[in-house]
Amino acid sequence: MTTLLGPIGSALNKRGLTLAMALALVVLVAAPLATILVQTLYPSSAAWGDVLASRLSQNLFWRPTINTMIIGLGVAAGCVLLGGFLAWLVVMTDIPGRPAIAFMATLPFMIPSFATALAWGTVFRNGRVGGGGGLLEGLGFAVPDWLSWGMTPTIVVLIAHYYSLAFTVIAAALATVNGDLVEAAQMTGASRKRILFGIVLPVVTPAIIAGGSLAFAGAVSNFAAPALLGLPVRMQTLSTRLFGMIEIGQTERGYVLAILLIGISAIFLGLGNRMLSGRRSFATIGGKGAKPRCFALGGARLPLTMAAWVICILTTILPILLLVAASLAPSSLSLFSDWTLHYWIGSSDPAFARGQPGIFHNPLLLSALTTTLILGASVALAANIIGILIAVALTRQKVPVLSNLVSQLSFLPMLLPGIAFAAAYIALYGAPIGPLPALYGTKLLLALALTAAMLPFAVQTGRATVSQISGDIDEAARMTGAGFFRRLGAITLPLAARGLAAGLLITFVNVIGDLAITILLYTPTSPLLAVLSYSYASDGFHQFANAVTLVILIISMLATGAATLLRGRRRQSFT
Amino acid sequence: MISLENITKSFGNSNAVSNVSFSVPEGSFLVLLGPSGCGKSTMLRMLAGLDQPTSGKMQFGDTLVADGNTGHSLPPADRNAGLVFQSYALWPHMTVAGNIEWPLKVAKLPTEERRARVLEVMEMLGIEKLANRYPGEISGGQQQRVALARMIAPRPKVMLFDEPLSNLDATLRVEMRFELLKVHAATGATAVYVTHDQVEAMTMATHVAVMNNGRIEQFDAPDRLLAEPASAFVAGFVGTPAANLIPIENGKWFGTMPDPLLRDQSGHAMVRAEQITVADEDGPRTFEAVLAEVVPMAGRFLVTGIAHGIRITAVSDQVARPSGKLRFRLPSAPAAIFDKQGTRIS
Repeated sequence: MTTLLGPIGSALNKRGLTLAMALALVVLVAAPLATILVQTLYPSSAAWGDVLASRLSQNLFWRPTINTMIIGLGVAAGCVLLGGFLAWLVVMTDIPGRPAIAFMATLPFMIPSFATALAWGTVFRNGRVGGGGGLLEGLGFAVPDWLSWGMTPTIVVLIAHYYSLAFTVIAAALATVNGDLVEAAQMTGASRKRILFGIVLPVVTPAIIAGGSLAFAGAVSNFAAPALLGLPVRMQTLSTRLFGMIEIGQTERGYVLAILLIGISAIFLGLGNRMLSGRRSFATIGGKGAKPRCFALGGARLPLTMAAWVICILTTILPILLLVAASLAPSSLSLFSDWTLHYWIGSSDPAFARGQPGIFHNPLLLSALTTTLILGASVALAANIIGILIAVALTRQKVPVLSNLVSQLSFLPMLLPGIAFAAAYIALYGAPIGPLPALYGTKLLLALALTAAMLPFAVQTGRATVSQISGDIDEAARMTGAGFFRRLGAITLPLAARGLAAGLLITFVNVIGDLAITILLYTPTSPLLAVLSYSYASDGFHQFANAVTLVILIISMLATGAATLLRGRRRQSFT
Repeated sequence: MISLENITKSFGNSNAVSNVSFSVPEGSFLVLLGPSGCGKSTMLRMLAGLDQPTSGKMQFGDTLVADGNTGHSLPPADRNAGLVFQSYALWPHMTVAGNIEWPLKVAKLPTEERRARVLEVMEMLGIEKLANRYPGEISGGQQQRVALARMIAPRPKVMLFDEPLSNLDATLRVEMRFELLKVHAATGATAVYVTHDQVEAMTMATHVAVMNNGRIEQFDAPDRLLAEPASAFVAGFVGTPAANLIPIENGKWFGTMPDPLLRDQSGHAMVRAEQITVADEDGPRTFEAVLAEVVPMAGRFLVTGIAHGIRITAVSDQVARPSGKLRFRLPSAPAAIFDKQGTRIS
């Protein structure tokens, strides 16, 4: 330890770093969670009764829970089907343009779900709740309510958002079974169907379960889609209910809902985990023969290629194009006529959009833009620094109990729905603690909550970085007698820089696209872009909402693009 | 049993295998030997039926299994052949017994028969205690035995091996060589074995095809490869240690030491290590070299020195002087002479 870290190592004593990290995690993760539990039980646990067993509970809990479960299961099934289908095409068949499809299939996760939800509205909205209809109504179709609002659009939008997760996980698993394992089965004379059901599916089952439970957890905790598509017709999920309770000041009931939401999400992730851990570890041995074999699609090639591209375009490019058109068209009924830049740069005109000026004349937008960028950058930085420190603590200092605690707590936010997590932050830091003032309504609280929420990802990045520092490569440099800082500058940073930068950018994208945490914790004087877009949309100013969403999308795309470039080049030059 | 006629396999414009013909009788053990990229694995995959030849015919016994000219190709399972993969390719979600049994299930064998066969091959390979374990829970050597058991359980007439021992450590490799030969003898099937390790070829094969750049350099019995190498490539590839190939130029060793026995030839002269002696003093056909290494072997020493940039190895009874310099004496006649293209002249 001392020899490895040199001066830094001697400054910290043997357990100092782990202890510090454990403390930080308690403050950031454990304490808020403990607080909501305590506040719902003490001084009175009446909120539990109200939510679970009273005249109100049907509306407060049971119906939202049923809706939440339907959404979760529907989205999980849809994501596994869609992601699995694309993964199969990309990994195991001779479909043309496989790298492009693989890239496109990972993009939807980078598009915030409220963007997809808004794009859905531009096409399928009907006039029932005001604000005008969408493209289909403009073309003369009567769009039924079930297609405009509520369950169906919410599920479809969330599938379009989360199928990337299932795709990534399943594609990785398929890549391991492809090659020798399938050929060994071919040698026995088994039919394609038998190989699929006897070999391929069983080997990728863990990945399918993992992909499905990730999509489930994401869908049940999503706020944007049910809020934008369900609330106008009073379809409530646990997350929208929770938001509503806190908004009208019934915080205890909100906290109870938050705990229940965490519980549901945890039960399903736990079930998935259980099914996985019951199985054997499916590590396969590589060999030179393990090069992927693609089977010919033959006559099905063209239709399947079309299907893959349609899925990719429908979930990535098309929503963006629709948002662009919808931010320019004065009438949502005819998206492609009378385009005007008013919603972007127009000044206030009483005859136009009820006197609402274009977004770049809205003083709130500029402050929201700077707040979002600064918040995104500082959260990304803070989360990744803590992430690296945690990774160092976990790999260098093995302290009994404490190390385990650090590792568990740093991954806990992954399991926590953002909006429930935000509620927990209000519970703990909403009131003054001793000499510390109340943080509710400050940007600091928002930053803390977002940092904690981004930790699981940051720790992953940190571990990857630290494995560079601690491996043979670093030892080789140590043998030359180079000191810690020299090695850091000459070996570690050059090797880890691209990965770190990419990690920072991805965290940044996640922060600026987040609505679930920010919607509860933003400061009214300087909201964030995502919140601004949401409030425009809920006031019926769709063009403005779309324009703001596009601003977020452009920033996200630039950052994602930069991250992909950094990662891509790195892979080429180092492996 | 296996006969190939002008087999060629091209990928795009390049030939991975060009114009290969040979035949081996039933029960033989054929080793395809060569450096990586020589086309030996492609050959094996074509024999297995996983790849199809671009042209040429391939027969197992009287059955035509592939004909590149007509595009005819029997699917892998109809060839009565089994393959052991370099990666073993054990199905990770099935137990050891499950892995061995699955091909028998596919072949629709009755339950009793399956159970008996699984037990029989597990006993043959000494893995009956592992029956209920998963591939991820057993060692590399054990996985190798399971892969072997899975391959022989359906009793194939042709057994194919793709560098099966390359993932094992040295001790296990020797043990598994013996195990493989035992299985080969017990089943009486014809084996085709791909490797880049000439020791495996020399110890196991009845026939060896030395491959280079997609062609067969020499097809012969192992001892014939050593005694009468057909090309400089074969001479330099087989044997422990491989024979020395000393450049000759217009009848001069290294282009500097004239010798009438070389008869004005240019190219390489093959001199086996046991023909070179370590000389104490200057004399006819001696030359100086810088000592590179001394390897003790079976009570004698392999002495390697570098002269004119070439590594020369000799077998000696005593350790060379530790001065860093030594003197080698060449024999009166080289064992073979190859021209500049590597073709044998005499």
